[in-house]
Amino acid sequence: MTGQIKLATYFWISLITCCGSAYAQQQVIGAPPEASNMRLVGANDLQARSAYQPTIHHQGDRWIAYIGHHGGTDDIPAPLNPLTGKAEPNGTSIVDVTDPAQPKYLRHIPGQEGKYEAGGAQMVRICDGKALPKGDRNAVYMLRSFGGEAHEIWNVADPANPVLVIRIGGLKDTHKSWWECDTGIAFLVSGAPDWRTRRMTQVYDLSDPAHPVKIRDFGLPGQEQGSTGAVPTELHGPISTGAEGNRVYFGYGTNKGGFLQIVDREKLINGPKEPTPDNLRFPEISRLAMSAFNGAHTTFPMKQMPIAEFAHDKDGQTRDIVMIVDEAILNECSEPRQMVWFADVTVENRPMMISSFTVPESSGSFCERGGRFGSHSANESMAPVYYKKMAFIAFFNAGVRALDIRDPYHPAEVGYFIPPITAATDKRCVTIDGKDRCKVAIQTNNVETDERGYIYIVDRANTGLHILELTGPARAVAGLP
Amino acid sequence: MRRLLLSAFAVAICSLSGSAAFQPTGPVERWHEIAWPFPRDGWPAGRAFHCDGEACSDDVELYVRPKIGFCNCDSGVADDDEVDRVTDLDLMSERFVALEPGKAIRFAGMPGRLRTYDLRMSDGSGHAAVGMAVSRRCDLLVAVAQGKGAAPGIQRVALEFLGSNDMARWMMSAMDGR
Repeated sequence: MTGQIKLATYFWISLITCCGSAYAQQQVIGAPPEASNMRLVGANDLQARSAYQPTIHHQGDRWIAYIGHHGGTDDIPAPLNPLTGKAEPNGTSIVDVTDPAQPKYLRHIPGQEGKYEAGGAQMVRICDGKALPKGDRNAVYMLRSFGGEAHEIWNVADPANPVLVIRIGGLKDTHKSWWECDTGIAFLVSGAPDWRTRRMTQVYDLSDPAHPVKIRDFGLPGQEQGSTGAVPTELHGPISTGAEGNRVYFGYGTNKGGFLQIVDREKLINGPKEPTPDNLRFPEISRLAMSAFNGAHTTFPMKQMPIAEFAHDKDGQTRDIVMIVDEAILNECSEPRQMVWFADVTVENRPMMISSFTVPESSGSFCERGGRFGSHSANESMAPVYYKKMAFIAFFNAGVRALDIRDPYHPAEVGYFIPPITAATDKRCVTIDGKDRCKVAIQTNNVETDERGYIYIVDRANTGLHILELTGPARAVAGLP
Repeated sequence: MRRLLLSAFAVAICSLSGSAAFQPTGPVERWHEIAWPFPRDGWPAGRAFHCDGEACSDDVELYVRPKIGFCNCDSGVADDDEVDRVTDLDLMSERFVALEPGKAIRFAGMPGRLRTYDLRMSDGSGHAAVGMAVSRRCDLLVAVAQGKGAAPGIQRVALEFLGSNDMARWMMSAMDGR
């Protein structure tokens, strides 16, 4: 064999091996889900709208899922709402999941016009009026973003007929807010027009949702108006432990240069409010800098976790843990791996990463499937059924992953579920030699759980909502029968 | 045989690399490429160039790189704050002050903004800098030029260099992931 023939042979063998493998991993419509210790209970297509935050609320004797949406796509900027017969920009889906096997779509509230992250109403939180200090006891309040320009509060006591209560507008962006139902304090991820960052925090007293009271603007020194020099990376979202826990855990960054910021809630709310560098530093307890390769989408606190391995130690038997979830943003593994990290924050001024989790890429050739592969978000419910025992991580084309986190120093996967694609699943593209090359794959974007133990996953690529339950050994981890 | 295969492989790799294929010609000759002078950060390293005082009146350095994956897919580089955030000024110094409001620019076929700065270096010396950011869909291309001379002069030579055919070709190629 001549050199040229050998070279050509190697080339074709490489090409066939490479591309045969890639195409073998493509999802196909009608295929069964890929699953381990998780089972599909029910599904809803959410009118083929790209979905972000699901929040499940026990409302009287019903269970209602409120699901925020990103904006529409280039191909379908405003999908058809079959209930109204109209094309509507993506907003909020309201679904009765009382019977999780037969979810019933109740209402779509349109959001801001605009495609992808430029429109929609991606965030949603729910508080009962009777839980809020000054709320209407008969109301159920839904706080949602309205694209990047506003936050809105709706009364969804009748979830099929929501009524707008108030709008907080004039913003340049919004994102993943947090609302304490027992105090009404809300940490709204906003873009104040005069700040130098797209996303920072506006703290509001929403104890009377009809009459919002702004407490302060908050962010990192360098982000405030009038500052100069480098601008710290933008906020993704906070989670508060409330007045009792007195901590707010802020996650900054998306897929780069992220960090966890631990903040004294009382100092944040009642400290000096003028956004000077000193006042912005005042409530901060510490920061945990992450690698420049990773950002912090979700910072989920789990205080005083008993660690079995440390049970006989005379000190440090329990640890305060924060689970940090990065967000993958580029298709087909075009960035460093975004994954899940566990930080021990027991000694608050010396927080330390103690473990991590990622889905093994080779277990599904996920870099070749199309779309994003990597983590995005975690369930944020603190209901006892899973809290401090299991975490569910949305992992884009690797579906949802169920982790046993009882020993956060050694998290272990105990189940997963990757839904099949449907005709509604949107393509995801990468640029190859200046041209788009697209694939269709599931893009599990967000996940939430309810007090009954059901797991709700939603898809960024328009595949809808899947309601799951644990099976086999994974149920035992949660103590479920 | 092994040497032949390795040579063929090396030729193929070099042909695929826009960076390796780039050879300055014409008006860009007064610039010469230098090693990327910054430690690794969240974005892959870009390309760095130096123009000495004789050719550019004062010593000027220019750093340019794509940032693939940027959240403002629709609005692009919408305002001056965005230029402050995304250009690589902070690689040189965290202390910089804008000299004036920025302006819209376009290079390599992409729209964006340019802003000039006073940059305070770690040794206390003052430099002028020009930050530039343009975008295409969800991707950015950022460039920053800095030197001891005045900002208008740095801006003029930097834009001239970035507007050269060779640089435009490389920038387009880099944005395509090549």
